[in-house]
Amino acid sequence: MTDAPVTLEKLRADIAAMLEEAPAAIGDDDNLMDFGLDSMRAMNLLLQWEEEGVPLDFGDIAETPTLSGLWALVQARQQGASS
Amino acid sequence: MTADGATAQGPVPLTEAQSGLWYAQRLDPGNPIFNTGQYLDLRGPLDRDAFRAAVERVSEEAEALSLRFEDRPEGPVQWIDPAFRPHLEVIDLQREADPEAAALAAIRADMARAVDPERDPIAAQHLYILAPDRHFWAQRVHHFANDGFGMVMLTSRVSALYEAALTGAPGMAKPFAPLAGVWAEDAAYRASPQSEEDARWWREAMAGMEDVVGMAPGRAQSAHDFHRHAQPMPEAARAALMALAKGLRLSWPDVVTALVAAYCRRFTRTGEIVIGTPHMGRMGSASARVPAMVMNVLPIRIAVDEAMPLADYLAAVARQMGEARRHGRYRSEQLRRDLGLIGGNRRLHGPLINVQPYDRPPHFHGLDVTLHVTGTGPVEDINFTFRGDGTTGLTLEVDANPGLYSAAEVAAHGARLALFLATAAGADRLADVPTATPAEARAELEEHNATAHPVPDTTLTALIEAAMAARPNAPALRFEGETLTYAELDRRSAALASALRVRGGGAEAIVAVALPRSVELIVALVAVLRAGAAYLPLDLDHPAQRIATILGLAQPVAVLARDDAQGLYGERLLAPADWPGEGAVAASPAPEDAAYVIFTSGSTGDPKGVVVTHRAIVNRLLWMGEQYGFGPDDRILQKTPATFDVSVWEFFLPLIAGATLVVAPPGAHRDPAAIAALIRAEGVTTLHFVPSMLAAFLDAPESEGLSVRRVFCSGEELPADLRDRFHRRMRAELHNLYGPTEAAVDVSWWPAAAADISAPVPIGHAVWNTRLVLLDEHRRPVPQGMVGHLYLGGVQLARGYLGRPDLTEERFLPDPFHPGERLYMTGDLARRRADGAVVFLGRADHQVKIRGLRIELGEIEAVIAASGLARMATVQARDGRLVAYVVPGQGYDAQALRAALAARLPDYMVPAALIELEALPVTANGKLDRRALPEPRFEGTEGGALSTDSERRVAALYAEILGLDDLPGAGDDFFALGGDSLLAVRLMLRIREEWGHDPGLAALFEHPDVAGLAARIDAGGAAGGDAGLGPLITLARGEVDLPPLFLVHPAGGLCWGYRTLAASLSPRRTVHGLQSPALDLAVPAPGSIDALAADYARRIMEVYPQGPCHVAGWSVGGIIAQAVAVELRAAGREVGLVALLDSYPADCWRAEPEPTQAQALRALLAIAGYDAEAYPHLQTREQIVAFLKEGDSSLGNLPPQALDGVVRVVLDTNRLVRGHHHRRYDGVLTHIRAALDHRDRPDLTPDLWKDHAMTLDRIDVPFLHPQLTGAEASALIAPALSARMAAAATVTA
Repeated sequence: MTDAPVTLEKLRADIAAMLEEAPAAIGDDDNLMDFGLDSMRAMNLLLQWEEEGVPLDFGDIAETPTLSGLWALVQARQQGASS
Repeated sequence: MTADGATAQGPVPLTEAQSGLWYAQRLDPGNPIFNTGQYLDLRGPLDRDAFRAAVERVSEEAEALSLRFEDRPEGPVQWIDPAFRPHLEVIDLQREADPEAAALAAIRADMARAVDPERDPIAAQHLYILAPDRHFWAQRVHHFANDGFGMVMLTSRVSALYEAALTGAPGMAKPFAPLAGVWAEDAAYRASPQSEEDARWWREAMAGMEDVVGMAPGRAQSAHDFHRHAQPMPEAARAALMALAKGLRLSWPDVVTALVAAYCRRFTRTGEIVIGTPHMGRMGSASARVPAMVMNVLPIRIAVDEAMPLADYLAAVARQMGEARRHGRYRSEQLRRDLGLIGGNRRLHGPLINVQPYDRPPHFHGLDVTLHVTGTGPVEDINFTFRGDGTTGLTLEVDANPGLYSAAEVAAHGARLALFLATAAGADRLADVPTATPAEARAELEEHNATAHPVPDTTLTALIEAAMAARPNAPALRFEGETLTYAELDRRSAALASALRVRGGGAEAIVAVALPRSVELIVALVAVLRAGAAYLPLDLDHPAQRIATILGLAQPVAVLARDDAQGLYGERLLAPADWPGEGAVAASPAPEDAAYVIFTSGSTGDPKGVVVTHRAIVNRLLWMGEQYGFGPDDRILQKTPATFDVSVWEFFLPLIAGATLVVAPPGAHRDPAAIAALIRAEGVTTLHFVPSMLAAFLDAPESEGLSVRRVFCSGEELPADLRDRFHRRMRAELHNLYGPTEAAVDVSWWPAAAADISAPVPIGHAVWNTRLVLLDEHRRPVPQGMVGHLYLGGVQLARGYLGRPDLTEERFLPDPFHPGERLYMTGDLARRRADGAVVFLGRADHQVKIRGLRIELGEIEAVIAASGLARMATVQARDGRLVAYVVPGQGYDAQALRAALAARLPDYMVPAALIELEALPVTANGKLDRRALPEPRFEGTEGGALSTDSERRVAALYAEILGLDDLPGAGDDFFALGGDSLLAVRLMLRIREEWGHDPGLAALFEHPDVAGLAARIDAGGAAGGDAGLGPLITLARGEVDLPPLFLVHPAGGLCWGYRTLAASLSPRRTVHGLQSPALDLAVPAPGSIDALAADYARRIMEVYPQGPCHVAGWSVGGIIAQAVAVELRAAGREVGLVALLDSYPADCWRAEPEPTQAQALRALLAIAGYDAEAYPHLQTREQIVAFLKEGDSSLGNLPPQALDGVVRVVLDTNRLVRGHHHRRYDGVLTHIRAALDHRDRPDLTPDLWKDHAMTLDRIDVPFLHPQLTGAEASALIAPALSARMAAAATVTA
């Protein structure tokens, strides 16, 4: 795991880049699938985040394909890991 | 919701995803391919108790593993039954000699057992103990219950629980969600507006899709097992793919999918490829954490443009796939139904490309683990699966249907694809990436073409001269009972060669040969070669305009022909009558000199002349002689027209082997009975057939039980069933040869033996010193098995096209693999089998073959364009016949266009149907849309309802033989619907099968319409029918504005013998036969010739109440014709030609002793086509009638009363002739004399007619009296008659 904490804005920027959208266009509660997030792109993001130490699996993103949903999970896991 | 809650819910219908599989399994209940499975090889210390606990918990969580199914009247249902939950079964194999092998065998056996979903548990969990620190954990789940991603979930969950048990850390994995959520979601989606919108999106996306084809030919229906090839992706290739995806900011699975699609398309050879991509369907779904069968397969249409920048291509495909996934919940099974792609071999997609980045090597705490997938469900065609996250590793699996691919092909795809991906990852465009590996390219270019073989550097002339010198007294050739020895051939050909030398016939000069099959033809060909010149065969049946074009191109120094009826040869004519009997020649051409020039159809509108050298044809002939062991005792049948290059080996192989050349009579090559008789009579050992003619030959009763040494086929594809039929019917070797005229006849060979089960039959392997090379669009070698363009190299290549360096350059290219040599581009498509044999697959361009004759559709289109009658036109081959689609221009007239085509093109190139369109249909990108062209309704629209059972049966036979979609009407004409003489023979054979008798070809010529022919068949079936015996029959139909010709019967009363003559007239003209009314026993015998003539004149005036007409007759028919002409004139009718074919006035016969009844009866033999002198023992009426009935002549097949009618007419003829006194005809009588006959009656001269005509016009032809109506004589007589009829028209006009 890398030391730098993951931020909501980093998740937004990564997702926006993968979907070729402006980060500002993606709202916290928007369904990412409406922006074209599909299983293959989701998988690519997960692999990228895994390398960066963000603890998410495919089930997480598939169950809750929103930025706020993902962010909640990331926060919960980061707290769990640091406690 | 808990598992129990779901149980309480009770049975529910299957989801859409399950339904598709349910019906597939129901269709094939014994098929175990619906088992999905995998095993993990666990190395290290396994805590079996912790492991068992993890598996048990997961089995409980994953409700799908406990599913039960039942097929109910309202449809299949499912429910969760905890009693069916799989428990871990532990099997200790440590005592086995080879525990690993035992475990694998057990896993295989388990996977190979079909599960009955209504009785058996749907899943199983096994743990095999191989050693204390080695275990195999095997899972099997029926595809109804789970999919690939579900399997990964099961494994990860067991792994997580095991790790938690050992370490005490909870981990982040959550338990599975209940199955009921998946069911509810499925039902909700089905009823949702989203589903409707998705349906609309897919229908639009798939609109206009062509039939899907796979990478290998055959039916894509899953077998019971599959071939598997698995390999890790080489590290460099993996890294290159990841770098490429990253650089383009695309997801790497999409990049891999796009590249694999491009690879696959090279094998399907379609403009676009439709791949299937598994869609996990879990994003934003209740199934995100549920093992279940959710996966869908999305068809993706990819139009691969190999020339565009690779980055653009990849981005476009990725975009397209992203779009498709948005609609990915719409089931492909439903889409198939929407698109009507159910049944047959209709498919939604071809190869499956399955990239599974989520499928990473599983981890187990403290263990080394490797994953082995044992089954993923049905493998319909071929599946390319990539497992791994791409970063830490990537494996490639190729699973394929064993009915379509061999294990070797599957492995080759794996290795080749890995290399393709690695190369493509670094390429600018796909076009730059070869398909074949370097080893495959080497095999294609060199190993399969190691054909070097020493051949003497000599000429065909030298080989023939050596054979003539070696066995001077041996028979060189046989023709119609005549034998020519090698010494005689030597003398006569040398003499003619010396005459040709005088006219300039030497090296590189061309001598045209326009002779029918005859002794003279063989002498001519050998003489041309001995003069050192090249021979150019001309077909006497071709239109004058075409022959003139050829002569203009070839500029022959001489034309060896019997006459110059069309006025084309002029001073160059050297007729057999003028050939010297003695003379010496000492020309010796060089191996590089031209030996012959054969013209083939050219796409630009004019035929093109292929110039073949001695060296080329010598290689071909010496190869054949040695390959098949030809020797002096062989008798080779020559029946192929000289203009078709198969004739080249027929002519010369016997002459260089010291064997005997058996020359078939002209016309015999189309007559199965005549060929069979010739084989038997002459002891023929070897002969050739174009496959379609072989089929007709095998259909004829006469071919049953024939035995020869070898039969060769070439010219078109040899169907596998024809090979098998051949061996059931005849005893002989059958060989399939292939080659274009441009490479000295044949370049490849294949023994189509009885034991050969190849389908299709290959064209085989290259002959000596010859290369068959399969190249792709960029002229790179293709890998074995892939379709490629066939190129030819080696010593047999022709020099090129006569006087057309431009066309030569187009087709004969510098060989990039053998500097200094050339490659000939055949335009054929082919692929190579694993054994190296080449399989012909069709044309890459618009050349077609009809009955083995090569036709460039462009040549026909050019003629249509040149006619000025059509604005646009395209010619297509449909079911072996040509159809011209024309957009009429100003002054368009179908008859006029037909006439223009007939004037420029040989018969077989004149389209059987003309279809007028307002415009030619085009595809979106402006190309001709062939699929949108209407199916031809071959001409003849009189139609009419079919009223009798016989009419319906005849109509069905027309449809069968002519390949019609609809039954023709009662008035539809067999020939106008596209029938030809070969098809007519088939029709008669089929009628014989159906009714037990056939009415004879004559009846078909007379009554080509359904109703008429049916009536003839019915009459023949009843006692005493008169099939073909009517007083006026139609022998040929021609242009309506040309005055008809009436041919009067000879002694037998029948006109059937005139068919060939009638068909040979040019331009085509309607020809009727006047037959004796006395053939009908109910009609009283005529009192005199004059009475007959008056009757005939009356009949002519009935059918043609006005306008001029022509009359002619052979033998007695001439006597009657003269009398008919007198009658017509007396009635004030205009008479053009009056032709007497070797007829002599009645006065000549009155003094002769009256013939005996036996003599008169023997005339029947001649009428039936037999040489009467060969059967001296046949004397009585009974003997002769019995002989005729046994034989295969049309006369012998007459119903008994009809034959009696013929006998009566024959016997009565002498009385009538003796009693006849001629009246003078006030016009021109044209007399055609059989100049070779009448040696015992020198008094029979045309002058005898002087007193009975105003003017006498004399023609001599070199034949005997009985031969005058045959094909060979007709070829000479018909043009003479045509010219005179045409001249008469200009006089009267």
